[in-house]
Amino acid sequence: MLSLDAVKAAIAFDQPKLSARLDGANILIEGSYLVVEGAPAAASGPITEFAIRMEVNPRYPHLEPKVFEVESRIPRNPDRHINGDGDCCVTVWEHWLATSADHSIASFLNGPLNEYFLGQFWFEKTGKWPFGERPHGAPGMEEAYADALGIANRRDVLIYHLRLLSQAWPKGHWACPCGSGKIIRHCHRKDLMGLHSRIPPHIAKKMLRRLMAN
Amino acid sequence: MTIYDKNLATSHDDILEKIAEALDIPPSKFEEARNRYHAIGNWLDRPESEIAQFNPAISPQGSFLLGTVTRPFTDAEEYDVDLICRLEATKADFTQKGLKEAVGREVALYAEAHGMADPDEGRRCWTLNYAAGAQFHMDILPALPDAQRYQGVLLEKGFRALASDTGLTGQAIAITDNTHPHYELASTNWPLSNPSGYAAWFRNRMKVRLDEAKLAFAKRAHISASVDQIPDHKVKTPLQRAIQLLKRHRDCMFVGDCEFRPISIIITTLAAHAYNEEPTIAGALQSILTSMDHHFEYHDGIAWVANPVNPSENFADKWVGVPKKRENFVKWLEQARRDFGLYLRASKFDEMPTELRKNLGEDFVDRMMKAATPASALGMPAVSASAASADDLRRAERAIHQIHQTGSQSKPWAKA
Ligand SMILES: [Zn+2]
Repeated sequence: MLSLDAVKAAIAFDQPKLSARLDGANILIEGSYLVVEGAPAAASGPITEFAIRMEVNPRYPHLEPKVFEVESRIPRNPDRHINGDGDCCVTVWEHWLATSADHSIASFLNGPLNEYFLGQFWFEKTGKWPFGERPHGAPGMEEAYADALGIANRRDVLIYHLRLLSQAWPKGHWACPCGSGKIIRHCHRKDLMGLHSRIPPHIAKKMLRRLMAN
Repeated sequence: MTIYDKNLATSHDDILEKIAEALDIPPSKFEEARNRYHAIGNWLDRPESEIAQFNPAISPQGSFLLGTVTRPFTDAEEYDVDLICRLEATKADFTQKGLKEAVGREVALYAEAHGMADPDEGRRCWTLNYAAGAQFHMDILPALPDAQRYQGVLLEKGFRALASDTGLTGQAIAITDNTHPHYELASTNWPLSNPSGYAAWFRNRMKVRLDEAKLAFAKRAHISASVDQIPDHKVKTPLQRAIQLLKRHRDCMFVGDCEFRPISIIITTLAAHAYNEEPTIAGALQSILTSMDHHFEYHDGIAWVANPVNPSENFADKWVGVPKKRENFVKWLEQARRDFGLYLRASKFDEMPTELRKNLGEDFVDRMMKAATPASALGMPAVSASAASADDLRRAERAIHQIHQTGSQSKPWAKA
């Protein structure tokens, strides 16, 4: 369980213009998010700041935090990767869980959130996304999952992989997802074991559930 | 025309370095203190001295040895120089009381010969007070070598590796304590201490930067000396600078409440644990402030700051009886995180936020800032808006480039 003290400790130095408090069951983070060139300090100060509100469930990182831009600096337009209520589409959550080793709140603030707001600043100035962007809706999610698994972006292939990876131990007698017609045990067993250790079942299950709901 | 001066600061680190340098004991004071304790050493070892046969030697301990001295908060206060007076004697030669008084008599003779007041007796030390102008006093700790018993105690408690590490435990000493039950008895049961071992541990925590700083020093001074020939006190590492700044911040924050403030040995130990040889003061502060509290141990729910060269000793042992001490540590850490974070993360290098200025000493910081930032810049018209915006764009470009180098973690998306 993520505690208020842990959140306070994570933001106090790196993001000193944010403050955290309890709000019902959630931890609420509010204030100015600083986009800084390099760590820890830049001689000319932060590049820019965004006014934000963040709702973090104590079951973070199991549950994705919600981030809102609260001063309407970012036009409310899906092409700016923000919803009408200011809800920021920072990243495809399970992709980050599957590809990053450190899931601490500090790692989220310094990783995806920094890239999101630096990207927003860059888009304001140049009309381009410096780290690329995902297509809206299900296609973007599928693309992100396929990236995380390192496989071709085809919905049926993706679903079959995720079913395999959702098992505590991939079933050797299932057909190999490569399409050779052989069973896994006699085909890409090693590769799948590697993938299984990289994408643990609880993350594969989350991906599968979200994919099937769309 | 702009003239660039090497003494002008251009980064947060330049400013912090200048502040820490000003907090340090000035080199002339340092030399003066060294000369004085060498003089005491010579006195104790003179032919007429009753302890001359035991080859008494005086050496520094504590912040003087660690290179983390910070100037007294007010000019009325004094630097406190902690010294060990080590005799090559055994517990067969002295009781604790016998050693304490033999050293005391010679120190008193020294004081008398130099027109100074009699030394004050403390629980473990003799305090020698100099005339007001000297701005320091010396705490002299009588001691005997006692590595064997120290290592034996470590072994008994299961710290096998430490017990056989002569670098960390070979200089351990027996000391006297006038409240100890065996103070007046012929006994081998004396209190133990290991300030040299602690200093060796501390030095190991910053070895890379220490050697690097010494190489740079030799180059600057155009001397061809090896790293080992340059004394430690000639240079400072980011760890030492960060500790000086943190101790100063503590001094200012608890200016009216010295009794319950976080003690230096706790700050120093946790900072040295959290330090990862960062090359800058800003980097050292970030590492230390974000993770120093991860280095508490918990023994049966009790917060424990282990002495790294004697893990059964808890530097935070007073916290159990005096919860206010623990609360003050937590309060201080929170404040220090935010104060240094606001300066380093949210401000330009030449604009120190009010809170940090206050908690490092306002007048003192203002003097430093004024001396270190170009006076002409203050009166200059503001940079035009378009130039500032172009600069922001260049900085963003560099930030993006850096992220591309280390690998971007995410791409924005839209749920619907
Ligand atoms: Zn296959």
